[in-house]
Amino acid sequence: MLNDTFDKITWLLLAVVIAALAALLAMNHGAGDGKAAGLGKAVEREMAYRARIELIGKLYGPVEELRKAGKNQEALLKLDELIRKYPGEAHGHILQGEILREMGALDEAVASFEAGVKLNGDYVDAKSPLSRRGTIQGLVDEGLKSVGGRAAANPGNRSLAASLRRVNYLKSRLAGGCE
Amino acid sequence: MLRDRHFWMVVVAGLLLGGLGALLAVWGNPENSGICVSCFIENSAGALGMHDNSRMQYLRPELIGFVLGAMASALLFREFRSRGGSAPLPRLFAGIFLMVGCGVFIGCPIKLFLRLTAGDLTAVAGVAGLVAGVWAGLRGLANGVELGQPSRGQGHGGPLIPVFFILLLFFLFVRPGFILFSTQGSAAQHAPVPIALGAGVVLGALAQRSRFCITGSIRDVFLMGKRTPALWGVLAFLAAAVAANIATGRYNPGLLGQPGAHLEHLWSFLGMGLVGWISVLIGGCPFRQLIKAGEGDADAGLVVVGMFIGGALVQSWGIAATAAGVSLAGKVAILAGFASILATSLLFRTRSI
Repeated sequence: MLNDTFDKITWLLLAVVIAALAALLAMNHGAGDGKAAGLGKAVEREMAYRARIELIGKLYGPVEELRKAGKNQEALLKLDELIRKYPGEAHGHILQGEILREMGALDEAVASFEAGVKLNGDYVDAKSPLSRRGTIQGLVDEGLKSVGGRAAANPGNRSLAASLRRVNYLKSRLAGGCE
Repeated sequence: MLRDRHFWMVVVAGLLLGGLGALLAVWGNPENSGICVSCFIENSAGALGMHDNSRMQYLRPELIGFVLGAMASALLFREFRSRGGSAPLPRLFAGIFLMVGCGVFIGCPIKLFLRLTAGDLTAVAGVAGLVAGVWAGLRGLANGVELGQPSRGQGHGGPLIPVFFILLLFFLFVRPGFILFSTQGSAAQHAPVPIALGAGVVLGALAQRSRFCITGSIRDVFLMGKRTPALWGVLAFLAAAVAANIATGRYNPGLLGQPGAHLEHLWSFLGMGLVGWISVLIGGCPFRQLIKAGEGDADAGLVVVGMFIGGALVQSWGIAATAAGVSLAGKVAILAGFASILATSLLFRTRSI
């Protein structure tokens, strides 16, 4: 590959281009931080994530206040309104599930948590600021006993079978895996 | 057979693939996904910004290790040869549909057996599908379906894929701002980089020397029965993975509540069936394609490029299945994959009459 003048010139040019590339990278090492190269997509995304969590706090703040005041029915009505207004947002379903569980409506709570986790898997992540892993684990343990027992006793009951399927979905998400 | 060096190499490759496959999940990779070529490609495609699922973006060091380990081994044993030129575009599309099949099943053939050895009984439908797919592919080969023989020569650009993976290795260590790393979700779960990269390099080198792969082993069993060393490689894989899973308390037999699994068995069967069928026609499963690309096989390199495109599409278009089940897009994509493979079988068939 070094037979004639053309080959030699091409090799020389290649060496020059590689050297220029190396020099360019070396001279600009670190210069992109926060400037020309932007903050980096990962940092930008992290900021958007934090902003979203703050927004969730503001959006669902009135619901939390109603919960603290023991007005669960009113909180549920407010959540219905918010879920209709923001159908792609999972947090409303998660809060709904928490309230329903407090009220003893296990099957309905499971359905709400399932809807929330389907929309946003962050709620089963241990490290996420939104994590409800402990709550969901408790719900699954109780659900397997309660719903599982009732479903076994009533094998033809479709509603119980659907509830059990939801519990198993949450169990599967808690177990992890790549998705 | 016991005195054959190749036999023992295949057994060691199977043992390490199964053992490390289970242990990498213990060391930080997602549950039952210690090694999953399709998940790793989806993660890596996401890290390169090819899809926007923020929970599936990470440059998996194992993937880089597979290719660079195979390249190092091929160079060391003078087996690195630039070759290619056999039906490039069909291979590119085969790579895309390989990822569709894996995405709908949730895992590649290696993960299929890792799931099974961790007690995930939903994987049984996938095993049946993979075996059926390999059988269908072999029926095609027996009836003259062949994508054509590759030719040798620098013009095929065999070194390009290894060079691309060296660049990915550079990105992994330097972490420039345009490379994305998930902070939530399964891609945020990973083994430490040195362990993951080391495991990848060792497995890549061993797979290059032994030619071991899951789908190829099933094919060889169909062709040669018990005489093939590949059978013992698969058995070693299964034994090592079961032992590692039991020893680490990760063996949970059952159908329900398994990690990264769904209950739509027909689609699991079809997903792995598509992967098995395609793998036979292109000469190996996703893992084997990476190894061959590392050896300078430009045809396999195009499959790898197709797999990256496929990895991006299954995430962007909602084709990938989840624990909730298989989406309509996933079902449509699987059927499109079968239509593609059937059309390929018709177009690339050498007829005797």
